[in-house]
Amino acid sequence: MLPPTPSLSLSANIIGLVVGIILTVIGVVFGFAQGTSVQFIILSAIATLAAFVWGWRYVLGQFVSQTPQTDEGPSEIKRVWLQFRPALIGLVAILLVFLVLSLAIENFFNIWNVISLLILLSIVVLTRTLGRQFQENRSAFIGVMVLSGLFSIGAMNIEGFASTMNIKSMLLFAAFLGIASVGQTLVALLGGLDLSIPFIIGAANVGLLYLISLGVPPWLAVILVLTIGVALGVINGLLSYRLQGQALIVTLGTGFAISGGVQILTSIGTAYGGNVFGTVPGWLSNLAAMNGSTFGIPFPPVIAIWGVIILILTIGMRYTVYGRYLYALGVNRTSAKRVMISELKYWVTMYAISGFFAALTGSLLLGWSGGGFIGVGDQYLFLTLAAVVVGGTSLLGGQGGYGFTVIGVLVLQVLSSFLIGIGLDFEWQQFIFGLLILPMVALYARSPHIRTQI
Amino acid sequence: MVPDAAAAPSQGGRSYPFLLVPISLFFLLLGLAVLRSPSLITSAGIGSAVIVATPLILATYALMAVVIAGRGTVDLSVGPLIGFVNVTLIQLHGAGVLESPLAVFAYAIAVGAAYQLLFALIVIYVRVQPIIVSLSGYLALSGLNLVILPRPGGVAPQWMADWGLGTSIFSPVLLILVLASLGWMLFTQTAFFTHLRLMGSDERAAYTSGVPIFVVRIGAHLISGCFAGLAAIAFTALISSGDPSQGTTYTLIAVTALVLGGASLAGGRGGVFGSFLGAINLYLITFVLATFNFGAVQSFVTNLAYGTILVVSLLLTLIIPFIQRHLRNFSPLLYFVALSVVALSVILHATFDYQSQGQDQPETGADQPALSSQMLTPIDREQLYVAPLEVAAPNQQESAMRAAAAPVILFILLMVVIAVFLRVAFSQSDRRNLAPVVAVVILALVVLGAYMMRHPGGPNAPPVNVEAE
Repeated sequence: MLPPTPSLSLSANIIGLVVGIILTVIGVVFGFAQGTSVQFIILSAIATLAAFVWGWRYVLGQFVSQTPQTDEGPSEIKRVWLQFRPALIGLVAILLVFLVLSLAIENFFNIWNVISLLILLSIVVLTRTLGRQFQENRSAFIGVMVLSGLFSIGAMNIEGFASTMNIKSMLLFAAFLGIASVGQTLVALLGGLDLSIPFIIGAANVGLLYLISLGVPPWLAVILVLTIGVALGVINGLLSYRLQGQALIVTLGTGFAISGGVQILTSIGTAYGGNVFGTVPGWLSNLAAMNGSTFGIPFPPVIAIWGVIILILTIGMRYTVYGRYLYALGVNRTSAKRVMISELKYWVTMYAISGFFAALTGSLLLGWSGGGFIGVGDQYLFLTLAAVVVGGTSLLGGQGGYGFTVIGVLVLQVLSSFLIGIGLDFEWQQFIFGLLILPMVALYARSPHIRTQI
Repeated sequence: MVPDAAAAPSQGGRSYPFLLVPISLFFLLLGLAVLRSPSLITSAGIGSAVIVATPLILATYALMAVVIAGRGTVDLSVGPLIGFVNVTLIQLHGAGVLESPLAVFAYAIAVGAAYQLLFALIVIYVRVQPIIVSLSGYLALSGLNLVILPRPGGVAPQWMADWGLGTSIFSPVLLILVLASLGWMLFTQTAFFTHLRLMGSDERAAYTSGVPIFVVRIGAHLISGCFAGLAAIAFTALISSGDPSQGTTYTLIAVTALVLGGASLAGGRGGVFGSFLGAINLYLITFVLATFNFGAVQSFVTNLAYGTILVVSLLLTLIIPFIQRHLRNFSPLLYFVALSVVALSVILHATFDYQSQGQDQPETGADQPALSSQMLTPIDREQLYVAPLEVAAPNQQESAMRAAAAPVILFILLMVVIAVFLRVAFSQSDRRNLAPVVAVVILALVVLGAYMMRHPGGPNAPPVNVEAE
């Protein structure tokens, strides 16, 4: 639930508004300089202003409600050390890495890299100092900090990183990942896991093209695939509800079975052994392809779809009874049961939603690529999990939400385009991804010491 | 729990009822595999099975050791870790650094243990969920593997490549497997293992009762690292080269095998016996499916079967409480013995009575059995449904063989009766520890069965040649 937004003083409001307008003007000028279409600039200007004003009120509100506390510690230095130990270690580590890199690599020590270093340092400092002030949503704050830091570093160091084209492509891929992670987030909120998502994505991808090639009208085929996705999700939910605690392995098993079964189905009567050929209808390609357009505005509709999903989910989970019950179940099942919340119903529904969105992702990916491929979802096996975790939703249930996952998705996406931008291969990207997930999670998702849990 | 839980050997831990499903599945698959391709039960057939299955079994052990430690420590990074040891081993060998077997073993185990030590330290001191650490390790290591060795290639040391031929049962790989299993069984006798299980079941209880949980966790991870190192050696011997991505696939299969073997992903329950059965079951599934020739959709069928069997066997664990209610004195070991008798008879039947199949496909005979599973010709549908159930019409020679086999079966049945009798007698008395007796009986059965298969005419007769007509 939103903390009641405290009334700010008039001057604070005015300052916020002015800064927001200045930022918006900068954005508009930047947009015109790049020659983007007018509708696009207006839309983004409104979005910038609204987001900034809301963020300003929210952040300041956190400080107003916070009473400053000063307790007598042993000594000043020791207290600072105890309080900011991880941050200090992080600072020293980053400085050391920078030093080593400057010594090792020719031309590394230039102005852009120094600024990047400063941004990194300030992220670490801010997350440990300001982040402390946030009672809840700390992970969202840190996520946004990391996101903006990464983005500004990318924009400074890489040609064309902040161009409309690149942002559009980042948003496109983020939309795929974001839609695929809807189910994972909801299921994780209940304390489950859904590893069948990548297999359902692949199966939907191949199955949809197969149906279309059989002559089923495309709209009917999409509806069929989505329905089958829901049905598979229901099966997943029922099975894993009976086998509590084994959700990981149950969904993995059904995933294997689904992907095998769909491939057998599609290869019956053909000589291609799992390869399906067919033509993707134009509207489906337009929905997801890079050069698609939404009501005349040149950006792929899938981004808009994702935006709608984000709105519905975040608002729905915050303000509807249904959403609150979901959190209640995630935090403590027994007590949720005591107030007559049906555990089975929610569990199965969440898995059904997960199946639906996985099938949707598969169908959209068909529009994007134009050809069926069973392995198209493989990367989402760990990426959806990583997005949920980086965003700050606890895998044990009850904490987090889809808004957090959106931040996680964006962080992963910006990071991946940044790594591509500085010319790293796929394997290096994966390596760095792996190394970065740990500290990102360690920034806010540390469990308390066992001593305090007894 | 079973009342006389102490009656079975301790390798199964307290997971007795959970072994029911893997044991049943094992014998079901074994019977099917033997009927489909009798050449599995030859020296070379078992030899190649050992070679192929050992990396998976050891990878499952590696998972098991940490899964028992609790907190949902499913080490997703075990596959990439195997791949990492594999590719670095190949590259170092290529550079002429690692030559002697001792150095290779030391290197593999040290890398595995070092990685797992790091893992444990992160879990303990950074205090993030273990699944996140393993996810991170999965991504990092599988990226690093591709950097070290961009595409499959390289050569393993010659002595190691020889291991991977799998022409006889008694290969060094089997020795590794046996030693690893024995090592774990010895380990289960220690107080450390009790601590480990306590910590896995309830970490807070362990902490409050004075178990040094950090030390125990580090210990579990070190053991897991050693298993992972051994798995990497077996894997390298199997493919005798380097492969950056193949090792990664072991993660999902090993998790599947672990669960199939009755371990609990929540911690506190798991054993070497169950894990072994789980991994072997997966191997047998692949083997049985390979004998049916599905052509282009072979791998899809394998996937489908993996998934279905996994889900079904998980569902079967749900009925265990009902079984327990009605069957107070259930002993998985006795169950194992009883089923192994059935399986032995199936093996005898398949070996001696199935001349017809052997004639049709002479290449599945004892001469080139290592290739048996690949060389089978597609069978027509009628045979597929009927063949396993068909009663072979015995000719002169087969009747003679049957006559020779009859005493063996009779003897085995007699042994089972004795074993059951002993079992009942002992459980009636206060002596609860029957494990050595039952183990001796099983060993005797197996040795006798093997011997009789080889010399059905008695000790002085020449070994039977199935191909002779």
